[in-house]
Amino acid sequence: MSQRKNDDWMGTPLPRKEDRRLLTGKGKYVSDIVIPGALHAVFVRSEYAHAKILSIDTSEAEELAGIERIYTGDQIKHLIKSMPQPIVQPALPAHYPTFWPLAVDKVTFHGEPVALVVARDKYVAEDAAELVFVDYEELKPVLDPEEALKPESAIIHEKDGTNEIFSMTFTGGDTEASQAENAAEVEKIFQNAPIVVKDRFKTHRTGVTPMEPRAILCDWDDSDGLLAYITTQRPHIDRLALSDILDISAEKVQVIAPRDQGGGFGVKAPFYRENIIIAHAARDLKQPVRWVESRYESLMNVGQERDQINDMEIAADLEGNMLALRNFGLADNGVGTTGVYWGFVMPFLGAIELPNGYKWPKADIRLKVATTNKACLTPSRAFGHFPTRFAIERCIDMVAHKIGMEPSTFRRKNLVADLPYTSITNEYFDSGDFLKVWDTLMEKANLPDFRVQQKNALSEKKYIGIGFGCGVELSGVASELFVPMENQPGYGAATVRLDPRGKVQVFGGDAPGGQGHETTTAQVVASEFGISPEDVIITTGNTGSTPFGSGSVGARMGSYFISAVAEACRELKTKIAKFLAHDLQLEASVEHFEFKNGEVVYLGDDSQRSSFMSIVERIIMFPINMPEGETGGLDATTFFEAAKPMICFNADCCVVEVSLETGDFKILKWITAEDVGNVINPLIVNGQMHGAIVQGISNTVFEEFVYDEQGQQLTADFEHYKMANAADVPNIDLNYATTPCPHTPLGTRGIGEGRPSSVPGALTNAVCDALKPFGIEITTLPLRPDAIWQKIQDATQ
Amino acid sequence: MAKVAIDINGRLFQEEVPERMLLVDFIRERAHLTGTHIGCTYEGVCGACTVHLDGEAVKSCMLLAAQADEHKITTVEGLAPDGELTPLQEAFKSEHGLQCGFCTAGILMNMTDFLKRYPNPSEQEIREGLIGNLCRCTGYVHIINAVRKVVQENQSRKT
Repeated sequence: MSQRKNDDWMGTPLPRKEDRRLLTGKGKYVSDIVIPGALHAVFVRSEYAHAKILSIDTSEAEELAGIERIYTGDQIKHLIKSMPQPIVQPALPAHYPTFWPLAVDKVTFHGEPVALVVARDKYVAEDAAELVFVDYEELKPVLDPEEALKPESAIIHEKDGTNEIFSMTFTGGDTEASQAENAAEVEKIFQNAPIVVKDRFKTHRTGVTPMEPRAILCDWDDSDGLLAYITTQRPHIDRLALSDILDISAEKVQVIAPRDQGGGFGVKAPFYRENIIIAHAARDLKQPVRWVESRYESLMNVGQERDQINDMEIAADLEGNMLALRNFGLADNGVGTTGVYWGFVMPFLGAIELPNGYKWPKADIRLKVATTNKACLTPSRAFGHFPTRFAIERCIDMVAHKIGMEPSTFRRKNLVADLPYTSITNEYFDSGDFLKVWDTLMEKANLPDFRVQQKNALSEKKYIGIGFGCGVELSGVASELFVPMENQPGYGAATVRLDPRGKVQVFGGDAPGGQGHETTTAQVVASEFGISPEDVIITTGNTGSTPFGSGSVGARMGSYFISAVAEACRELKTKIAKFLAHDLQLEASVEHFEFKNGEVVYLGDDSQRSSFMSIVERIIMFPINMPEGETGGLDATTFFEAAKPMICFNADCCVVEVSLETGDFKILKWITAEDVGNVINPLIVNGQMHGAIVQGISNTVFEEFVYDEQGQQLTADFEHYKMANAADVPNIDLNYATTPCPHTPLGTRGIGEGRPSSVPGALTNAVCDALKPFGIEITTLPLRPDAIWQKIQDATQ
Repeated sequence: MAKVAIDINGRLFQEEVPERMLLVDFIRERAHLTGTHIGCTYEGVCGACTVHLDGEAVKSCMLLAAQADEHKITTVEGLAPDGELTPLQEAFKSEHGLQCGFCTAGILMNMTDFLKRYPNPSEQEIREGLIGNLCRCTGYVHIINAVRKVVQENQSRKT
């Protein structure tokens, strides 16, 4: 990564502009925003996984002093449209459940909102919520996805007559006949293949819950309409959805995602039912209303993903060529009552990304998604493909073991060597060099040395192992995929506005949650105009001032948003050059000028120049004697759409030591190789990688949402939902093997979103490698000492 | 109701509060110091609400405001009262020890106290000292680097 030259801030480890306020307690998150007179809202949530609501008695609660209003589903169902609404419904055929923000007639998971108490005091609102009595008639909960799809199962959403919310075949074309023909061809390969491995790979319910839970503060004015501060990655989508559902004309809805948000990781990307009723309450009571989610509510309702079974088969030959892949996935969707994703969009994308960066001559990939009485799946970093990546990276090792080949050699032999490439599920890999990344990893891993160490360790009865994995990750989501997937555009949009003092304001409609947009954007703008990052300020997440953006999702920053920023800067540079050439009476255009050190310099004669500020001021403030056809002002909005979907690529190696006595293991080393394209700020990129990998480790080893046989959520606090702390995780040796992206103006790639996906496979492969003397193959997560110990017992008895 | 007099960052707050009011709510809602955050359900696991009670790091969600009566509290806003960042705050900036910043105040308060008690900790000791603070963004690597940087600066100043 290069150090800074002149005003080229690209690749500079610039400390972040965000940090000072966050380090001194001056950040402003939604729960820190005060509107005088704001009322406090507390939800009454279902105690049962599946039950009829017979009656709700709010009389005792209403007697408490300071209660403004208690809402129930029966009261609001005639006032608020039901979901789904088109703005938050993908263009994928599915059984979309009908629901309101508060449960109507029955509850479908433990923690579902049943009533809303609005009071003047937070503590009183909580007291009142406990005095709301709901009379339930329990129904049999549907908790197992395989059972859910059997004809004798109780049906959760009766109107559909099935618990299958979604199913799809991803290979063999669009018709049933072509898919059947493809399946038959794949079957034939499996019948004749010398090596076949088939197993069931299970991933548990976990995700990336952010440290800041959800919150919303709504204000209402009869003329201006609704102003909503929301913890959200998608303020523009939330705005349209609130407008549509509450029948408030769109110009009267403003959503602000504050610039300070305590992490998102996908969890703040859906359109949530709680926001609908809080906005309705503010309108109904004509008072500001605030809801701040408790951790207990958060863990009951959101951040749950990855709950999936993959029945996978790989066929290979004895030389280590992959011949065919077959996977029947079954995802446990939970109830599906969450806008934008409905749960199943994650496993849908997970199936598309299943083949990873390998060349599969043939594949048969299918997915079913079952509704159950659990919280709806919500997106979590490595959107949808944590389960399928675990399955494929684990299964690849098992095939290599059967062939008698190093798993790393088997991988390299089958990685896509020439890009661009279209995967067997029609995922487009635009550019990059997978082998360069892989070889960078292998050089650092030093496998021959490790095998010697491993042998020596074994003679001392120490079990160390090495594991590998890799991942092709989306770098932003092109409209080509985003429109059908979520009914939303993929372009990045930015407004760049110069002011007469030569300073720059940037406006973006996405809504970051800690990724350092203020700093990276300032670096790019400063590089383009030859000024300092200190002269640049960015506004994000305010629908009143920013151009439309689909949100901070899918690694859109480094791919789409920053490209729009760069293109807007270049548009303004063209105009500045035109004015300067005119004023200096030169026959010149933008390519004849250099923007550096706060000046615009004519390359043909560097005595011909202007300070950046003067020429900018001249164009904005003194719009006379202008080039023909020009107008004053320097303000540009651009929409960047890449010609093709883009990707980034990464690979992991980890080394573990396993204790035979306890099944516990320690991660001794974590080495990576990354193609992140051109880097804007290496500090920030490193931070993204560290965070993502540790999230992957924490998900693989520690975190698990557990429901009991009645569908009761047992893990709704951090005592029981165990997240990795600093002493649980290793240091990480990051290595870069970058290829600039040819489809973005700066050669950058969007990074970080999918990054956890190669972690569970690499880590489990390392544990299995350590236990190879016993032939142990682990196919189920979480990867816990007790399960490993049991495997050791089974193998050694 | 209870009458309390709590010194927060050198300012005295004399207030009448419900007996059940948590110290973290007092800090956020009565003193209007919102740098102290709430990240778990008042179970003391996440550490985002860590403040100093008479100089010692405590979790302000585990105390009632009434228990802090007649005591001195320092919050993250009180770490750099004259606007000059402490070496630890500076190190968090230069080492990129924070992303979303939600857990950061608690980590700064904990580590400020920790470094007073253990001026020359090993990496493992720093990691163990951080067990009471959850961070979701950073993977802890840069946080450890920031704390180590301060330790190294202190050690090189001594020699």
